[in-house]
Amino acid sequence: MRLPVADRGLLREQTRALLRAHRRPLAVVLVLHGLAAVAGLVGPWLLGRIVDAVVAGEAADIVDRATVGLLVAVLAQAVLIRYAQRAARVLGETVFADLREDFITTVTRLPLSTVERAGTGDLLGRTTNDIDRAQHSVRFGVPRILVASVTTVLTLAAAFVVDARVAVALLTGAPLLVLTSRWYLRRATPAYLRESAAYASLNGSISESVEGARTIDALGLGPQRRARIDADLREAFDAESATLRLRTVLFPGVDLSFVLPVVATVLWGAVLVGQGTASVGAVATIAVYALGISQPVGELIFWLDEIQVGGTSLARILGVGLVEPDRSPGSAAPDGEQVEARALRYAYRPGHDVLHEVDLDLLPGERLAVVGPSGAGKSTLGRMLAGIHPPTGGSVTVGHVPLVDLPLDELRGHVALVTQEHHVFVGSIAQNLRLAAPEASDAELLAAMDAVDAGGWLGALPEGLETAVGSGGLSLSPAQAQQVALARLVLLDPHTLVLDEATSLLDPRAARHLERSLSAVLAGRTVVAIAHRLHTAHDADRVAVVDAGRITELGPHEVLVASDGEYAALWRSWQQE
Amino acid sequence: MPYRDPGTPPLTSPQAYLGWVARGQLGLVLSASAWGTCGFVATALLPYLLGRVLDHGLQDGPTDEVVRGVLVLLAVGTVGVLANVVEHRRAVENWVRAAFRSAQLLGHHVTRTGDAVTVELPTGEVVSTVASDSLRVGEVFWIVPRLLGAVAAYLVVAVLLLRSSVPLGVAVLIGLPAVAAVLGLVVRPLTRRESGQREAAGRLTTLGADTVSGLRILRGIGGEEAFAARYREQSQRVRTAGVAVARTQSLLDGLTVLLPGLLLAGIVWFGARLAAAGTITPGQLVTFYGYAAFLTGPLDVATDALRILTRGVVGVRRMLRVLAVPTTGAEHDGPRPAERNRPLSPDPSPAARLRPAEDLVDERSGLRVRAGRLTALVSADPDESAALAVRLGVLGAEHRIEDSLVRLGGTRLAERGLAEVRRRIVVAESAPHLFTGRLRSGLDRGGDADDAALLSALATADAGDVLDSVPHGLDGEIEEKGRSLSGGQRQRLALARALLTEAEVLVLVEPTSAVDAHTESRIAQRLGPARAGRTTVVVTASPLVLEHADEVALIDDGRVVARGDHHSLLTDDGPAGHRYRAVVSRAEAEDSTEEEENRAPSRR
Repeated sequence: MRLPVADRGLLREQTRALLRAHRRPLAVVLVLHGLAAVAGLVGPWLLGRIVDAVVAGEAADIVDRATVGLLVAVLAQAVLIRYAQRAARVLGETVFADLREDFITTVTRLPLSTVERAGTGDLLGRTTNDIDRAQHSVRFGVPRILVASVTTVLTLAAAFVVDARVAVALLTGAPLLVLTSRWYLRRATPAYLRESAAYASLNGSISESVEGARTIDALGLGPQRRARIDADLREAFDAESATLRLRTVLFPGVDLSFVLPVVATVLWGAVLVGQGTASVGAVATIAVYALGISQPVGELIFWLDEIQVGGTSLARILGVGLVEPDRSPGSAAPDGEQVEARALRYAYRPGHDVLHEVDLDLLPGERLAVVGPSGAGKSTLGRMLAGIHPPTGGSVTVGHVPLVDLPLDELRGHVALVTQEHHVFVGSIAQNLRLAAPEASDAELLAAMDAVDAGGWLGALPEGLETAVGSGGLSLSPAQAQQVALARLVLLDPHTLVLDEATSLLDPRAARHLERSLSAVLAGRTVVAIAHRLHTAHDADRVAVVDAGRITELGPHEVLVASDGEYAALWRSWQQE
Repeated sequence: MPYRDPGTPPLTSPQAYLGWVARGQLGLVLSASAWGTCGFVATALLPYLLGRVLDHGLQDGPTDEVVRGVLVLLAVGTVGVLANVVEHRRAVENWVRAAFRSAQLLGHHVTRTGDAVTVELPTGEVVSTVASDSLRVGEVFWIVPRLLGAVAAYLVVAVLLLRSSVPLGVAVLIGLPAVAAVLGLVVRPLTRRESGQREAAGRLTTLGADTVSGLRILRGIGGEEAFAARYREQSQRVRTAGVAVARTQSLLDGLTVLLPGLLLAGIVWFGARLAAAGTITPGQLVTFYGYAAFLTGPLDVATDALRILTRGVVGVRRMLRVLAVPTTGAEHDGPRPAERNRPLSPDPSPAARLRPAEDLVDERSGLRVRAGRLTALVSADPDESAALAVRLGVLGAEHRIEDSLVRLGGTRLAERGLAEVRRRIVVAESAPHLFTGRLRSGLDRGGDADDAALLSALATADAGDVLDSVPHGLDGEIEEKGRSLSGGQRQRLALARALLTEAEVLVLVEPTSAVDAHTESRIAQRLGPARAGRTTVVVTASPLVLEHADEVALIDDGRVVARGDHHSLLTDDGPAGHRYRAVVSRAEAEDSTEEEENRAPSRR
């Protein structure tokens, strides 16, 4: 199940809305470029006047005036182009900044279940490749297309103003131009998409080879990795060859359609001049226009195809906005801190429940350990208790208000979840921590790091909290990343916390020590700890054993051990002695 | 394409590198240059031919002479069209060859350096040498033939002008390079600002990718808004940088109109006076105008070339930094060159299979790993035994084989060479990297293991559930970094992959740290039989695994302080036994924690 893609209608509507929102600067760009194009048309026109004057033997009077006119036109065109281009580029930058910021805001609000079903790869591709591709079109393409269209239209118009009968000859190139560009545009988009997919795959392979360099060395994977890179290059080469074939048809077609009007103008002009119905100067002017029009039209065709590619990317970017929200925040305020699950069911795929009618009351301030075999539904239960997904059936409430009826920022003041995922965000350690508490002072950050036993290694870093981490920065070990994640939780300080294997990447003794330091800081908070190490259960107030989507045992460690059930067996096997 | 072997470039300077690439595709460069010249010159001739037709006098209608002139115009125009498309094809071929050869060199090099490459350079920088710098090298080879063509066309126009009017010819001959020089002054700051914006945009993309990768974490703690705010901040930085580029770029755009425009006005003024005086014909005046207008083409190529060459040299410099990272040598000093392109183990020669297994001895710690046995390493600080294990296989940039005090069968590893070491001793670390691709090829590096072998390795690693969770099983795709799998699943796949190397000596570092007790126990039971007859080293502190080891070595302060099997060490009454129990017994773990905290500072 992929994420949705915007259809043509929506794409058009959104593009129009975007242009409307920037109406004024857009008008400025158009007017400036229109004036610049007009100034650019003065040269050939004056040339025609001079030619006519020379033919008539009256050139001496007009030369100096015409040259001054030309100078003024050149100056005006240069100045206008300068400001028009600046306005156009600034507009492109602004429009695209708005677009990508809206997109990321949408991404951060996406229902997690949708993202997981679609695979993070899909969303990642939209955030990186599609944004890159669309920005090329929006930032450079849109301004260039505006300029090229304005120039083309005005040049044609000027030619017809100079002498409509001669100017008709300009249209001789049109049929060939239309045919080849239609042929090309119909094939271009998939071909260029294939090309960028090939490069994305190559970059992915390289990135993996670099990140996994040590593993490659250890296991002798070099030949395999090189074969993969060569395969990526071969695909990129084939994709390049395919687009080159398309251009091999397009370029001569387009170029020829610009030679034809020049030839036709002269020939047809000769007929008209012979009849005495046109001047040589007019023919000269229009012939020069014909030579000059090739540049803007060529650019137009080049960008039409880029715009198509950009449009596909834009459709994927805007499509993310079509995902239905999985929660609708209400206005009810929770009454108390009691978290309760009632008849809780959840299915990742319809009809395949992984939780069956689970009831669970968290006692405020207690420490509940959740244990059980892999795949029993522990993590799903944890996510439900943290309000990550809306349940398929039943409810999870805090103070009698369903978690999914709370606005996200309020929800996190009540319940938060930390998993074993050890992703470190790009930026400083301080920025990583402040994700949970944007207003926290450095002292508070340091205290939080101390609380998760991370004060030691943090203190050893020369730049301390300001150390750059994540991709391109210092690489934290999984255990350190987990400590940072837990420090965030300390800063966030909700009354209920769900820790899903949150210390599993630390070595067992460090984990146990950390859990104890943490519980000192979190005294009075309700903690649900999902764990595969049983000392977590041993240290907890109550233990819930989850098996096949049900809570099969629930009670204090000693009671469960004494009752000699599943948990007792597990404990003995783990304990070994 | 791609090259069978991209070759060995000189790393002394960007110029030397570019020269080396050029020599490799000299024919192509020359052919593209020839066609480029042909196309440009044909286009330059159009105004000349147009002027001649006009001069034949259109007053008499389409006379034979006019028609002949028009046909010549059409013919030359068509030649220009054809030359342009052939030039484009040659230019793209040049581009692709140079770019892909560079990408291939880089891509192959990073598979031979081990982690030295990441120790010396940030990952993102290495990736961008392939993603962008190698393409910049391609651009150099794309623009150079065009530049040569443009220069030729400029010379042709100058000569034609000189023949009509010496002052005009001289004006163009001097004027155009002068204009190009002035534009060049703007191109340099522009290139700088552009690269500033690219850098900012790169960081923004990283932040975007970060949002997606960390979405689950953000959702758990409600950090979405704070993160989106960071993205917006960087996005605005990119916009500001873009506005700075726009200022300089639009200045260049304006100058590109102004300077040739002034030249044009001068030519028209001078030409019109000549025409008025009857020195030249009106047709020649149109020709002059056409030349002046045409010359903006070569001028654009020249400014582009300046920009591309500047960026190209910077790009090559970055590439050379990556290529200069030394290789490990594991693939080069092997005794059998024929094997270089093959996976390095299992050792294919039957004689080697029959070789009696050899003990592995580390003189520094006093560790002796006996051949054909399962040896477990235990230490109070898990990093310590892990470091020892990694040292046994001389893995990573932190170890040099010359300094190794490890002997295999009595011979120092340095004498055996890294190639042999890698073939015989395989180290699988606790956080290994899974690669994108089919599960089958991810597990089996050589591609020669059959389904039964794969399934049996997966069974030993208790990874049957992973097989079920990946659509299409063995032929299913593993996502990047195994993102769709849980930590425990990734670890078990990595274990299966290590087992499939069938290495003579297999060193496993904490292979079960992320799995639950039931699973760990099953893996521990199956590991010994699966490795029967071969040497296995496991770093662990888990009693479930230690119980199944043939021999356990307790490491303290870099030395082996006790050895024996799990039960004998557990029941040992001496200080070593006490120490061992402190490390492995979970019930007592807490007692020793405080003491350990003070004694074993984190290595990182």
